[in-house]
Amino acid sequence: MEFLSHLFSSGTLSQFLVGLSRTTILFIVSSGLSLILGILRIPNVAHGSLYMVGAFLAYSVIHLFGGGVAAFVAALVIAPLGVAALGFVLERGFFSHLYEREHLMLLLLTFSFALIIGDLVKIVWGTEYRSVTLPVVLQGSAEILGLPLPYYNLVLLLVGPVIAVFLWLVINRTKMGKIARAAAVDREMVSAVGINVGWVFAFTFVLGCFLAGLGGALIAPMTNISLGMDHSLIIEAFLIVIMGGLGNVWGALLGSLVFGLTQSLGILVWPKFGIVFPYLAVVAVLVFRPRGLLSSTW
Amino acid sequence: MTGPEPHAVGIHKKEGETVKKFLGVLAAAAALTFAVSAGFAADAIKVGFVDTYTGPATAYTNDVLDGFKLEIGKINAKGGVLGRKIEFVTRDDKYKPDIGLTMAKELVLKENVDLLVGTISSAVALAVSDLAKKEKVPFIVTFAKSDKITGSMGHRYVFSISENSEMAGRAAAKGLAKKPYTKYWIAGDDYEYGHSIANAVFSHLSELNPKVQKIGESWWKEGETDFTPYITQILAAKPDFVIVATGGRGMVNFQKAAQSTGFNKRVPFYQHTAIELSTLSPQGQNAPEGVYGTANYLFYFPATKENQAFADEFKKAYNRQPKIGALYGHLLAKFVAKAYQKAGKVDKEKFIDAMEGMTLDSPVGPMEMRACDHQVALPMFFGVTKKSPQYEHLVAGDVISVPGKEYLPSCADVMKTRAK
Repeated sequence: MEFLSHLFSSGTLSQFLVGLSRTTILFIVSSGLSLILGILRIPNVAHGSLYMVGAFLAYSVIHLFGGGVAAFVAALVIAPLGVAALGFVLERGFFSHLYEREHLMLLLLTFSFALIIGDLVKIVWGTEYRSVTLPVVLQGSAEILGLPLPYYNLVLLLVGPVIAVFLWLVINRTKMGKIARAAAVDREMVSAVGINVGWVFAFTFVLGCFLAGLGGALIAPMTNISLGMDHSLIIEAFLIVIMGGLGNVWGALLGSLVFGLTQSLGILVWPKFGIVFPYLAVVAVLVFRPRGLLSSTW
Repeated sequence: MTGPEPHAVGIHKKEGETVKKFLGVLAAAAALTFAVSAGFAADAIKVGFVDTYTGPATAYTNDVLDGFKLEIGKINAKGGVLGRKIEFVTRDDKYKPDIGLTMAKELVLKENVDLLVGTISSAVALAVSDLAKKEKVPFIVTFAKSDKITGSMGHRYVFSISENSEMAGRAAAKGLAKKPYTKYWIAGDDYEYGHSIANAVFSHLSELNPKVQKIGESWWKEGETDFTPYITQILAAKPDFVIVATGGRGMVNFQKAAQSTGFNKRVPFYQHTAIELSTLSPQGQNAPEGVYGTANYLFYFPATKENQAFADEFKKAYNRQPKIGALYGHLLAKFVAKAYQKAGKVDKEKFIDAMEGMTLDSPVGPMEMRACDHQVALPMFFGVTKKSPQYEHLVAGDVISVPGKEYLPSCADVMKTRAK
């Protein structure tokens, strides 16, 4: 029972908010992964690498513009667009030729791109650790019941819902979004009515890559931008997608919430083994709802 | 069972052919790689590097190679050792023990190297160390931090030219024992290095200052990017001091989170290598101040002629300041050259005899390769991060230098761990 008393301490609120802000980046990245998985049926292992490219691009853009709010905002726009452009090249140049092949081929291709992009990053940015500094206005932290909550985490708390609404609008209110959803259910039928499915796929892939890049750009000021940051993320992102329901963007949102909150509240309850809570949540979901929390498009 | 159906046989045969074809291509590719890489001159002294040259560890390993190249280049320019040039080849272990072992085997059996060196991964180091023992080839570990390498799993053929977690723990405990803190929190990367460094610091600290107590622990996964939830939880527990056992990328990640939450201003904390350039330079002026740390190399301390000359030379060659890896690479070149010189011929056993107890001058002062456990005794610097008007990054202030013999475990202690 002593464990439970931690849950109702003064730290709970700040821990909850920190967990929510962490959810934002997890959601942005995993929703991109989920989109590509749901509509294109590609388990994109290179998604983490695109996120890493987003972080490195953000670093370069911020350095190019010399820091400050303008540079940071520019990075948040340019880095995801850069990654989206890379995604466009990958989709048109490689993936579009392989849609008719087995999933294994596509999986292998994404895996090879994960390795290739990793090496490209090494060639372009080198092996040194990179770090970007937040604009002065975002440095420091607010206080909640005596505990710090960095201003940047507050920003993330706002960005998360904005991206969720944006995705909802794209998927539900644009023609492209509607076609993409239809193609996810029955791609033969969609092409039979005369729609060029290829471009729908390209659009989805590019949107997914944009989200990966945005996630990378958003994490850039919080972390050490380095080779290997892709590996730690891609596993979490896949777990979230599996937990939420393969291919379901709202599942990714729910999965990210479960993942982020079980982690931050888990740390509060049992710091020594805080690491296990999100994974326990994944196991619990898979045992009781093997197809994920929300309906899978597969 | 009456044997497989003909149909099934057909499939198997087909698969077999594909596999054969595949293996053929692979063999051709391998042959090509080795053909290209076999670049030793006939009478050269052959040094084989097995180290991690892909992924995050390259932030450290490239410095080792560059430090080594710089010094060995100078030695070769003067005619080498015993009239022979020292040459080297590198193999990428990808931070994986099985690959590292295969590479080391290839270097020993095919390239006939006289000496194996390298690796930042403790797992690779221990695997290659085992091979070195079996094949009777000397192996100098350049970066791996496990105290098992020259401790419980040490033997005649393995040497270490870097500090290990046990040594870092002892040195840090010496620095921290003088501080008034008693309630300690321990936090770190949940892998071997994190746990061993945390244990080493805390166990020696509680020996030196019996009043200290551990009020809790938190462990996160290696590669964690967001430390804010951990930091707020630690703050809620109100410790006096926190031992943060991070390595590699985690060093910078944790410091960034400390800076944005103001953690360092609320609770002082220690990280091994917190004051090292690899940790501080990426963060520029925005690294947290007041963080305690230990390191074996600082390019600005001690401010001696030798250190200045080494730092200038490295900067001139590579356009960056030398980090700890550069010192390891430099020491490696010096030890290797001096040992072959002393041995009088290129012989594996004689090389080991020459290495034992060898002393040499270095940018950070004199150091010794201990004969008893083959562990280098090098000075350790304990300091605290602070801003400097002179540099674009934070530096270590209030630095105290702990000589190697004051923080190395005694030979008797090491032998006790080996006997177990």
